[in-house]
This record gives sequence, C-alpha cells and structure tokens, in this order.
Amino acid sequence: MQISINNFTKTFDGTPVIDDMNLTIRDGEMLALLGPSGCGKSTTLFTISGIHRMDKGQLMFGDRDVSGLPSQKRNVGVVFQNYALYPHMNVFENIAFPLTVRKDNKADIDREVRAIAALTHISELLERRPGQLSGGQQQRVALARALVRKPDVLLLDEPLANLDAKLRLEMRSEIRRIQLETGITAVLVTHDQVEAMSMCDRIAIMKKGEIVQIDTPADMYSNPRTSFVAGFLGNPPISFLSGIAMENSFSVAPIKLRVPLGAHEGIADGTQLKLGVRPEHFGPEGDIAVEGKIAFAETQGRENLYDVALADGSVLRSIQPAGRNWALGDTVRWFIDSKSAFVFSDDGRRL
Amino acid sequence: MRTSSPHRANLLGLAFMTPAMVLLLGFFFLPVVLTSVFAFTNMSTATGISGGSYIVTGNLLRSLTDEGLDAKTIEALGQSSYVIDQAGLEKARAAGVDAKFITEIGERLKDRSFTSASAFERELKTLPSRPTRVRDLKIAAGAFEQSVLNVRYASRGEMEAALLHMLENPPQGAIERIATASYTGWTWTTENFKNLLVAPDTWRIVGNTVFYVVLTLAFNVLVGLFLAITTFYLPSAGSSFFSVLWLLPRITPVVLYAVMWKWFTWEDGFVFNIAQDLGLPAFNYMKGSVASAWTVVILVNGFVGASFGMILFSGALKAIPVQQLWASDVDGASRWQQIRYIILPHMRWPILFVTSYQTLSLLSSYEQIWLTTNGGPGSTTTVWALEAFKTALNNYTGNLQYGLGAAMALILVAVGLVLSIVYLRLFRFDEMMSKPKIEF
Ligand SMILES: Nc1ncnc2c1ncn2[C@@H]1O[C@H](COP(=O)(O)OP(=O)(O)OP(=O)(O)O)[C@@H](O)[C@H]1O
Ligand SMILES: [Mg+2]
Repeated sequence: MQISINNFTKTFDGTPVIDDMNLTIRDGEMLALLGPSGCGKSTTLFTISGIHRMDKGQLMFGDRDVSGLPSQKRNVGVVFQNYALYPHMNVFENIAFPLTVRKDNKADIDREVRAIAALTHISELLERRPGQLSGGQQQRVALARALVRKPDVLLLDEPLANLDAKLRLEMRSEIRRIQLETGITAVLVTHDQVEAMSMCDRIAIMKKGEIVQIDTPADMYSNPRTSFVAGFLGNPPISFLSGIAMENSFSVAPIKLRVPLGAHEGIADGTQLKLGVRPEHFGPEGDIAVEGKIAFAETQGRENLYDVALADGSVLRSIQPAGRNWALGDTVRWFIDSKSAFVFSDDGRRL
Repeated sequence: MRTSSPHRANLLGLAFMTPAMVLLLGFFFLPVVLTSVFAFTNMSTATGISGGSYIVTGNLLRSLTDEGLDAKTIEALGQSSYVIDQAGLEKARAAGVDAKFITEIGERLKDRSFTSASAFERELKTLPSRPTRVRDLKIAAGAFEQSVLNVRYASRGEMEAALLHMLENPPQGAIERIATASYTGWTWTTENFKNLLVAPDTWRIVGNTVFYVVLTLAFNVLVGLFLAITTFYLPSAGSSFFSVLWLLPRITPVVLYAVMWKWFTWEDGFVFNIAQDLGLPAFNYMKGSVASAWTVVILVNGFVGASFGMILFSGALKAIPVQQLWASDVDGASRWQQIRYIILPHMRWPILFVTSYQTLSLLSSYEQIWLTTNGGPGSTTTVWALEAFKTALNNYTGNLQYGLGAAMALILVAVGLVLSIVYLRLFRFDEMMSKPKIEF
C-alpha cells in the first residue's frame, strides 16, 4: 500500500520539529529514513503509526485519509527501538497480542503465531519471557509481533541499534527477506548509512525535520544533491576542500591546486566553492596531482585507509587496496579523479 | 588477603544489621512481648499493676455465693465470733481495759467461744470486776472479736490461717478457693481468652471487623486504582490538580478530617440539608442508622486508604515504559484492553502491596471510627481494635481491663502474623524479594 505524507508539520511545545514535509512511500517498497540524531525520524515514524498526531498536513494510506484515525485503526506494525516487548507475557503471548485484542479465535491465533514464528526463526522460544532472550531474539519477537496481523505498513525504528556487528548483518538480511516475502510496505528508521543502503529500495535523507533527498542507494551515492547528503553516505566519508572559482577551475591558491570545473562553466571568478572527493577517487591514479603527507594510516585487512594532509592543512581521505603500503609521515604525490569529484556551492548545494 | 575477606564481609554485614535489629527489638518485639505478658493476667484499674493483699469483702461473699460456695461457709465467713484466747487478752490489755477485769476473763472464760456479741456481753456482765459503763464493756468485748470480713491480710498464709480459724470443718478446698478469690492484686490467668471465646459480643465484633476490613480494603484498592488510572490518562495539568485533591484525606490531620466528616454528616450538616431539600429522610447520618453509620465508617477510612493507594499506583503507572503503551496502541488494543493486559499486570506488585499493607493497618486501626461513630449506634460499628482500645485504655465505667485488652490485642497481632504469612505465600513476595535482579 502506498503511503503519502502531504505538508506534514509537527511542533513539540512550540518547537517545530517537522516543517511542511512531503514524502511518498511506494507500495511494497522498503524506504529508509536516514539522518542524524534529533532530525525527526522517529517523529515521522510515530506519526505514520498514529502514536503522534499531525499538527498540520495529511496522511494517506492508499487513497484512504487516515490523518484523524487512532493508531488502533491504522493496521500498522511497529518495531520499536527498544523492542517494547511486554515483559509479563511469554513470547507466544507477545506475538499473539495483536490477534488477542482483535478477539480472533484460539485456533487461528495459534496457527498464525506459529507461522510467523517459523518465518522469524523463533519457534523454539515461544515459552520464554522476553527477559530470558538475547537482544537479537527479542528483536525477532518484536518483528513477529509487528507482522503477525499482516499490517498494511511495517515501521521499524532503529531495530538493529542494539545488536552486535555479526547479528546486525544477519538481521539486516533477515528483515529484508521477510519484507520481500510478505511484500509489505516498510519504513526503516536508522542513522546507520550502511544499514540504509544495504536493506532498502530507496533512502530518504533527513536534516532538521526536512527531507533533503530521496533516491535509490546507488543514485544517492553517485549523485548527492547537497554536501550534507554526500557527507552522510559513504564509509569512510567523503572529504571536502574549500576553494574559489578561477577561470572555470576550482582553485586552492596556497597549494596551487586547480581542478577543471568541466560542465559547470560560467561561475563567476572568486565564488566560494567546495570540492567533495570520495576516498576511492583519490590515490596513486587520477588526473590532478596533489602533494601531501600521510597523517593517518589504518589497515582494514583487505583495504588501507589513509589521511593525506596537504600543505595548507586540509585533509583528503583515500582508500587503497592492501599490498602497496605507505607509512605514517611518507610524502606522497597522489591524484584526484576530477570527473568523479563533486562541486558544491558554499551553502552546500551541488552544482 | 583473599581468605580473610569473606569473614570481614560477614562482620560488616552484621554491623550494618545492628541498628535494624535494635529497632526491631525495641519497637516490635518488645511491645509484642509485653502485650503477651499482659494478656495472661487479669490486670485492671482495680488490681493495679503492682502486688495486692487478701481481703474478704461483702462483694466477694456475694460472688462466691454466685459461684456456688455452700451457704454454711458463706454464713460463717460473714459472722463474727468471740473467742477468749491469749491473743484476745493481749489485745484487751492494749486497748486499756482494766487489768483486773482482764485477769478475771482469762481465768473464768478461757477458751470459751461465743457466736454473738450479745451472748458474750451477757456473760461478761456476770463477772465481778465488770466495768460500770456499757461503752467500756463493749471495748473489752471487741478485743475478743474474730472475723475475716473486711480484714486486710498481707499474705496468703495469714488469710488461710484466719479462715481456718473461722470455719469449723470447711468443705474440701474451700479455704484455698476463698483465699484465691480474696486476692486484690493481679494474677496470672488464661481466663481472658476463655471469656473472649464464650462472650456473645466477641463474634459480633469479629463479624463487624471482617465486614469493615473487606469493604474498606475493596474501596481502598479499587478507588485508588480507578483514580490513578483516570488521572494517568488525563492531560497532565488536570491530573496534578486531581492528584492533590485526592491526596487531601491522607494529608489532613486525622482529627480535622474526622471533624470535617462530622460537619458533613451530622444534624444540620451538608448531607442533612441536601436530604431535607430533596425531601429525603434527614437525620444524623453518622450515628442515626446502622446502614448510614457503616457507610460513613467505610468511606472515612476508604478515602484515606484510597489516596494512599493512588499515590503508590500513580508512581507505578509512571514507571511503565511508554513504548509498551504505544506498542499496545498500535497492536490495536482499546483503552480497556490496554488497562487489562498491559497496565494491570504491571501493577501487580503495587496492588498486592497495598492490599496486604492495608489489610494489616485496617485490622489494627480504630482512630477514625473512634473519632466518628465511636462504634455506634449501639456497638454496631465497633471493630476489634476499637473494642480492645476501649477495654484496655478508654472506657466510661473507669475500670480499665488491661489484661483483657492486651489479650484482644494479642489476638490481633496473631491474626496479623497469620495473614502476613498467607499473603507472603499467596502472592509470592519471596519471588520478588529473594531473586535479585542485579547480580553481584
Ligand atoms: N515528546 C516530545 N516533546 C518534545 N520534544 C520532542 C518530543 N519528541 C521528540 N522531540 C524533539 O523532536 C526532535 C526530533 O525527535 P525524534 O525523536 O524524531 O528524533 P530522531 O530523528 O528519531 O533522533 P534519534 O536518531 O536520536 O532517535 C528532537 O529534537 C526531540 O528533542
Ligand atoms: Mg529516534
């Protein structure tokens, strides 16, 4: 089911948190809401679920306006950040709860719960209390409870935040598998860009209550609309150089760096600009030479990370395959791949 | 270093426990022990709490008659006799009777006895040295009078000797029985319990107490829960106002609170006037009828307990993670289902705590009843604790029966202990207590 949020505004105690947001989530897609802490991701999610009400705006499930409906009547499944399992009920009762309050008959409840438990691989835990489960198991119980009554929408609020790295990887694919299997429309709130990119069809990046860009992970990465988006996606992150426009080039005078602006001709000389260079676009190969000192080196096994400090103090990050290793303090003359660099105006707009 | 540490930990634990133990001993065990001691005595205002003496009074004779002592013995006890013996002669001398006359009495009447004053006096008048004045004759006769009636003996032995002297061949055991009955101090006895068991009032009061505790408890818990939950769902501005309002019964001084109820329910009080305006029967609702008296008693205590319950329940409600309430909302639970499935299970411990705590405090509470209906009309709203209080410490006749009151209090303590154990087992407080959530 398609969800559209139109002109959504939310204020907490006079402080605007979401201002005039528009967002459409396509039927059957999994959308990531990605953004820094406090940008309003949970608020948006809770508004879709009905826990928070809109101050202004409209929420459509398909072509049904649900803005005024209480959460009981919206048929959404929510996985809360801390799972919010009911501690006094066992796993079976937790999962069965949405069906119990709907007064389904016992046999149906039993069948549905066992089916969803099998799907989430917790069939052998049904008798346990939440307190007797590991974080990952609790997470799957929460997922099962959210899914058991076949909601129209699945909302996940940082469901993997509490898990260890390995479990997180497992659960990522698990959730994605279940979402694809059930074909449910899902929203995943996260501040982990890897999670967003690996699990979701599209990513909406939020900043201070606004959606800055919404795109597929690949497009978002290769074509960021602002320096904020470029900086948010990618690990290790992109690095920025500050400079000015000079004769159709990006120029940093103190280090005599000139990067041709190519397509962005006609920028007035002297305009403040920022150049974004991803770590994979700076290294021993490329077209624009830069000289600097290795200020930081870290090996990650398959790859090595380097920070190269330039003469004016700015830093460019690089990621290189292991094998040819540079040491801290080495002077290197590396190259920027100018065609892959992003040019941003001083206020962060991509040019 | 390592081997000594458990030992030191034990000592440290003991040191930490000491103040608690001292307080427990001083404020709990000691009163209970004293109550138990008093409960097995017949102490009262009449006996005093120190020792007593032995005295046969008219009252005692009457009660002995009631208890079936034979009439002959009773009569003998009530009579005086005149025996001419050495002690009598000494006494006469001390009373200043003429020495010659005394000698004559000694010589002529030695070892004779007379059962009445007139017979003895007639005999005395025959003696040559008899005094001329009747008054002197009576003084001389009085010296030989022997009676146990209204004579105070310091010890049991003296009393028994006197009795033996008075009674010719008394029935088996009569001497001991009379001596025991004549003791004016307190004695050890189990009579208190036996009397309580057979007194018809006892069971009425037990019934009253059960009725009072059960209904007030139900009011405490249900109204407390209701208030806590409704204020929980109310917007915060309104809820804090109502919280304070409902706290008033708890924070108002007991006496003031009782006085307010009196204004509320007495003649010309609030309810009275409203009832009158509505054409309903208007009377003193606090004491005018059994039903209204009970209603007042239960409400007076009910509201105090309800505000106590509300404080506790409100705290517990605030401790429920809000995400669980959100989760149950999106899971489709109605308000009522949310209360039933999420909130009440979370309230299990506070509810059990309030129930058991209130049962025990209601069992032993009498202040509010004392200050309002004072157990009336008649003794229809008299509960065990009030009766014990009145028996031991506060009644109109002025004879405070400490022993009986203590026995009643002791029964209350026993019931309280039994109930605590029942609650502990029933509600598995041990589960809550003994399994620490935090491991060390
Ligand atoms: N109930 C509330 N009352 C007042 N302010 C609130 C409330 N809930 C959220 N806010 C504020 O709204 C803003 C957005 O909060 P929100 O929880 O949506 O952030 P978030 O993007 O989910 O952050 P995080 O990643 O840390 O969870 C924050 O500044 C927060 O302080
Ligand atoms: Mg959040």
